[in-house]
Formats: sequence, structure tokens, C-alpha cells
Amino acid sequence: MSHALRVVAAEALKQHRRLFGQPLVLFSMLLWPLLTLAATYYTVLPVMESAAAPQRWPVAADPRRLLAFLAAGALAYTFFFSLVQSAWHFSFERVSGTLEALFLSPASRMALVIGNGAAALTQNAWLFGCFAVAAATAADVLDVAHPGMYVVAAVALLVPAVAWGAFLNSLLIFSRDSAFLYTLLDDPLWFVAGVRLPLFALPVWIKVVGLAFPLTSSLVVLRGALLDRADLGDLVVPLGWLALLTVGLFGGASALLRLGEARVQRTGGLQVF
Amino acid sequence: MSVMGATFVRNWRITVRAYPWTYFVGTLATGVLTIGVSMLAYRAIGGGRVGASFTAATGSADYLGYVTIGAAALTFTTRMVLWVAKAQITEYREGTLESQLLTPARRLPYLLGVTAQALSTTAVEITVLVAVAGVLGVRLSVPEPLTLLAATVAATVAVVGMSVPLSALMLAAGEAHITQNTLFTAMALLCGFTFPTSYLPQAARWLGEALPVTWALRVLRAATLPGADVDPWPAFAVCLLLGGAYLLVGLSILKPAERRALHRSARA
Repeated sequence: MSHALRVVAAEALKQHRRLFGQPLVLFSMLLWPLLTLAATYYTVLPVMESAAAPQRWPVAADPRRLLAFLAAGALAYTFFFSLVQSAWHFSFERVSGTLEALFLSPASRMALVIGNGAAALTQNAWLFGCFAVAAATAADVLDVAHPGMYVVAAVALLVPAVAWGAFLNSLLIFSRDSAFLYTLLDDPLWFVAGVRLPLFALPVWIKVVGLAFPLTSSLVVLRGALLDRADLGDLVVPLGWLALLTVGLFGGASALLRLGEARVQRTGGLQVF
Repeated sequence: MSVMGATFVRNWRITVRAYPWTYFVGTLATGVLTIGVSMLAYRAIGGGRVGASFTAATGSADYLGYVTIGAAALTFTTRMVLWVAKAQITEYREGTLESQLLTPARRLPYLLGVTAQALSTTAVEITVLVAVAGVLGVRLSVPEPLTLLAATVAATVAVVGMSVPLSALMLAAGEAHITQNTLFTAMALLCGFTFPTSYLPQAARWLGEALPVTWALRVLRAATLPGADVDPWPAFAVCLLLGGAYLLVGLSILKPAERRALHRSARA
């Protein structure tokens, strides 16, 4: 166990040194999400101002609550998307030839992919901090049952996100084409996960697809705990589902890593793509 | 003219041999999902109606048509910028910028050749997007076909005008990812693609007014929004003037940017 922890720490430190302080992080984690959040808010505003909207969705009646709803969505989405980005960076290991070196080392493969994702997340902790400060400044927007729910919200966001990152990283053992990650998991992810709309507005089949992604349930917990005064009892279903998904993603990542490694040992694929 | 034609033919060959599918799927998805979110919100939350502020600002209650046209225009703008503004940094990355500088070809015809080729592929992509919107149930009308033509001209001038200084910026910085995405997210907010600019705070509105794309969109709205009774020609004139000014500034800073890129690659 201590060996695995050392690998996680080393890999996380490596990622930190690679990424931290780079302008890209500031843009992709703060500026772009903020601009997109504002554009989304204004785009749906005409609908929210319709006379029918407040009966169908009470949040629509109050622009501040609407903005908080969308901001929570943007925050969770940005967290999960940072994992997509970390997987993208992981694919550079293959391009620069260091992926093979990683697999020659005795390091636990699972620890490597967890460390990689965990680093991306800890670097975004400041983002969560900014959100918390901004939300606290607009104090009447937050509606929290008790302080413990902040911890629940943070855990429900962080742990599934690390599992998600490990899973995405393990996928890249099979392919060097990381562009599909960006294409498949950028826009479609926010659409099916209810980042910009309440889940009731989505058709059933999109809801079903959305449930397969941990972001959807993380977001239910985050919004419930921080904006709707939900306590642990109210959120037991999404939390249970999140726990299942997390275990499934870690299990899937571990299986993929083993399969992928066996395959590249046979094909030499780590070196020659 | 021969430079423009040659660039057009070369870029067509590149496109036919290695079409960037992921870019296409990515931009198409952005457009379709923007329309999708608006449609779901309009039906499930708005009950098929919009607030009075929207009707007052646009002169029309056709929210879905407004968003669809805006999403198509945003796809047009991003795709064209990706082609035109990134043309030279792509040459730089592929190692052909030096050859380009050695030829006696001038920059403007080269960039116009890139633009002409980009227009032909982007037209196909926009057609796909509008067709998908039609399948989803959005009904679009073009009450003023002549104005639509003018809007296309205005949008092309606006996009080329903005792309040339951007190209210089990318060459000088040796970086495209941050520059292009910052521009795209800023434009999506400031130019009035999916909502009227009157929703924005005053300062942001002024920033939008300085971008030629904002004015091109006004011409486009006059052509496509039923009931929006506005004269498109003043906006058309402003768009051409602003686009021309951006183009001139861009061409004047392109040379020093190229020099900087060359020095960087010589040092490396």
C-alpha cells in the first residue's frame, strides 16, 4: 500500500510540475468557463422570463438562483473536464515515448492513473475555493442544511471525478487518438448531465444516458446540498448510485489497464502506436 | 489571382485527403447541442413562450429560429477563423512557413485563397447543421433573400478581417489553442449570437460593438427574423468598414509577426 501511495504522490508531483502556473490552466479552468457560463445564462434567460416558467421551475423566477444553478453546473463540469484534459496530457506520454518507460517500471498501473487524475483535481481546488467565496458573498443564494453538507458536496464531486479520470486514462492505453476524448466528452457530456438544464426538462432517453456518467449524479448532490437545503437522507439515492459508479469505474479502469498491457506486450503497440 | 487559385486548389487537396473530422464533429455538436438546450428549455420550462424582454429586443417571438440562426452563424465564424487565422501558424508548425516567405506571393491573395476554400467546406457544414435543426423541428424562414446574401458577404469580410490580426498574434506568440478558444468564448458572449446584445451590461456591449461580427449578425437578423423590421444597410456598411480596418491592421503587423516566428524557429 505504501508503495502505491508513493507512486500516486510521485505521479501527482510530476503532473503538478508540468501543469501548474501554465497560462493554459488559468484560461481553460477559469476564463473560458466564466464566459461560457455568462453566455448560457443570457441564452436561456428569454425562456425563464416567460409567464409559464415559474410554475414549471421555481428557480426560473429568480435570476440569482438561476445563475447559482448554472454556476454549480459549470463548476462541476469544469472539474470533470479537467480530468478529460489530464487524460489528454497522459496521451503525450505515448507521443514522447515515456509511456513505455512507465510500463517498464514496477509502479502499480492503477496508482499511476489515479495519481495523474488526482493531480489535476488538487490543482483545481482553488477553483472550488473561488466558487465558494463567490457564493458566500451572494449569501442568500446558498441554502445549506448544516456545515457537514459542504463536505458531502466536495466528496461527491472529488471521488467520482478521480475514478472518472482513472477510467479515461486507462482508455488511452489502447489508442493514441485522444481527440475523440475532446469530441465525445466535451459538449455531449454537459448536455446529457444536466449542466445547463434541470433534469426534468430532458427527455427520458437522455436522462438514462446521463445516469451512466458520474457527473450527472455528482451535480444532483452538489446542487441539492448547496442550493436546495437537502440533507444526507434526501440525497441517499444519488449518493448510492455515485458510489456504485465509482466502484464500477475503478474496476473498469483496472480491467482495461490489465487487458491493454497484455495487448501491447503482444503487439508492441506502446512504441509503434 | 494565381496565388489565390493555387492556394485554393492546394487546400482542397489537403481537405479531400485528410478531412479534420474531429473538428467537424466538435463544432457541429456545439451548434446542435446549443439548439437542443434552447429547445428543451423553451418547451419544458417556458411552455413554448418567451419573456417580453426578448420580443422587445428582437421584434420577434421566434426564439428557436433566433437561436438556430445564431448557432449556425457561430459555427460559420469558428470554422472560418480556424481555417483563415490558423493558416499561417499551421505552415509554421509543418515547416513550410519559410518556403512561403521565400516565394514572391503576397499575403492577401494567399489568405483570400484560404478563405475561398474555407467558404466552400463551411457551406457544407452549415447546411448539415441547419438540416439537423430542421429534423429537430425548427422552422426557419428567409423573408429577405437579398439581405441574406449581403449578410454572408458581411460575415465573410468580418471573419477575414478579424482572422488576419489573429494570425499575426498566433505567429508572434507561437501558440493557437489559448488564443482561438478565448476568442470563441468571448465572441459567443459579446456578439449576440444566441441572445440579443441588449441583455449584456453596458461595458460588455461596447466591446461587442467593436467586433465586426456583431454588425454582420445584425444584417443576418434583418434577413432571417420574421417581423424584425430593420434597415440592414447601415449595419452592412459599418461591418465592411470595421472588417476593412481590422484587415489593414492585421496586414501591417503580419510582417513583424512572421519575423518573430522565424527568429524563434532559428533559435530552436
